[in-house]
Amino acid sequence: MSVIEIKNLTKNYGKARGVNNVSLNVEQGEIFGFIGPNGAGKSTTIRTLLGLIHPTSGSASIFGKSCSESPEVRKEVGYLPSEVFYYDNMRVIDLLKYSASFYKKDCTQRINELAEAMDLDLKKKIDDLSFGNKKKVGIVQGLLHEPKLIILDEPTSGLDPLMQQKFFELIGEENKKGATVFFSSHILGEVQKMCSRVAFIKDGKIIKLEKMSTLQENNYKRISIEGKAAINKEYFNLSGISNLEIKGNVAEFIYKGNINSVLKKISEIELRNISIEEPDLEEIFMHYYTKED
Amino acid sequence: MNMYLYELKSLRKSTIIWTCAMISLAVLYFSIYPSFVNDAEDVKKLLGGYPAQVRVALGISLDNITSIMGFYTMVFSIITLCGAIQAMIFGTSILSKEARERTADFLLVKPVSRPAIVSAKLLASVTMLLATNVIYYIAVSILISIVKTSDYSVKQFFLINLSLFFLQLMFLAIGLLVSVFFKKLKSVLPISLGTVFGFYIIGVLLATGKEDGVRFISPFKYFDIPYIIKNSSYEVSYLITGTMIVIVAIAASYIIYTKKDIHAVS
Repeated sequence: MSVIEIKNLTKNYGKARGVNNVSLNVEQGEIFGFIGPNGAGKSTTIRTLLGLIHPTSGSASIFGKSCSESPEVRKEVGYLPSEVFYYDNMRVIDLLKYSASFYKKDCTQRINELAEAMDLDLKKKIDDLSFGNKKKVGIVQGLLHEPKLIILDEPTSGLDPLMQQKFFELIGEENKKGATVFFSSHILGEVQKMCSRVAFIKDGKIIKLEKMSTLQENNYKRISIEGKAAINKEYFNLSGISNLEIKGNVAEFIYKGNINSVLKKISEIELRNISIEEPDLEEIFMHYYTKED
Repeated sequence: MNMYLYELKSLRKSTIIWTCAMISLAVLYFSIYPSFVNDAEDVKKLLGGYPAQVRVALGISLDNITSIMGFYTMVFSIITLCGAIQAMIFGTSILSKEARERTADFLLVKPVSRPAIVSAKLLASVTMLLATNVIYYIAVSILISIVKTSDYSVKQFFLINLSLFFLQLMFLAIGLLVSVFFKKLKSVLPISLGTVFGFYIIGVLLATGKEDGVRFISPFKYFDIPYIIKNSSYEVSYLITGTMIVIVAIAASYIIYTKKDIHAVS
């Protein structure tokens, strides 16, 4: 059984926003990345999954159950929203205890561990915390009951790089202990480091769902060449080439396909220089992103 | 249970303030009662100078204004106004505050159903209203025993004050129903004050006419104090209507809130 199962999920808000026919599965123990620009439908998908929003059609379930029909499955879910807001007049520890009281187990030790790891002062009033510190409260709050599924919606905004690293370590540890992680972001680098599979969403539709390893290794090459003479634009009219940029003697593009065919093509040019690199996820993403336009 | 306790705590301060305000008002009024009785004739002459409509609107009845019950009728009309505002604010704010303070993403992803959340919040509000009523009743019983010049019916006095609780339940339910229709209700105070004063003024205007049917429009007219004093009971048709309003409004709130989409903060 998949931990997360989204089937033909559609949610319309009037005209523009929402999601359209989204389907995806997240398996036990995975770290799943959910990538897309702002407004693509990431939050809508996550909120439907959590039962905050009701789908127009299709279904979204966690551990085989829909959150709005059986809210108790949320016991196994830890959620960190992109922007955290809590009851201002409470102290951090009171909020965390209130949060823990929903899960019917003793989380005191876990709270202390997490607070120490995140360098969070439990005695402060939430009102007095900076944005970054509030975010830390959110992280502790999301993890204190040792959930089997961790859902993160743009988790790193507002955290300084050091804390981001700490945060990813924490998530990594949870994952090693068996937690499944569903992770939305528009920052591609952070997904690249962690995720085993990744789905791209744009304008409410999933445009690609692939294994991270396939994405990175499978045929995607960033190639730049410098010819002895000016390179004709028409010359690289080859399938599999995208993001082609030609400036005089220099041509740059991303290639996906049989390496031999592109090398043959290149070998016909008198070269001054060549580099072939692994593209980072951002470029692969932009590749999908622009192709759709 | 944890939600109920949390909500109780968050309502504590405002409950104390409202209770104190209502008791202070009663103290203020009762403090002038002794001089009222001493100069009974002058007072009657003075009040007799007012137009009859104004007297009715203020709950003043010339025949028994100097009797303790008649005097309390006048006091009570102000107290009900306070109580109604308190209840309406509780009703409109208790669910909507999660969206307003942007804490919905915290509470609504906990392993509890939406109906359970509504129940906890509703129960906490009712508890606090009950506490307000009990404390107010005790205070006002003490006051009346201090200033009374003749005996009065404890049963009538109890029934009059109990009607405050019923009125509050009605406004709590109305407030709750109003609040679930808003995506994000920011103006709890204007809506509450507007609704309560609106019904109050309608009630005052209705009081000057004597038609029975139109009294159904304003909850303030469901419990007619002179009727309670005369009969030591409530009017059944209004009691039933009031109960229906509470049940329907609360049931509708449950259904709408459960089906509602909770949108991201922006």
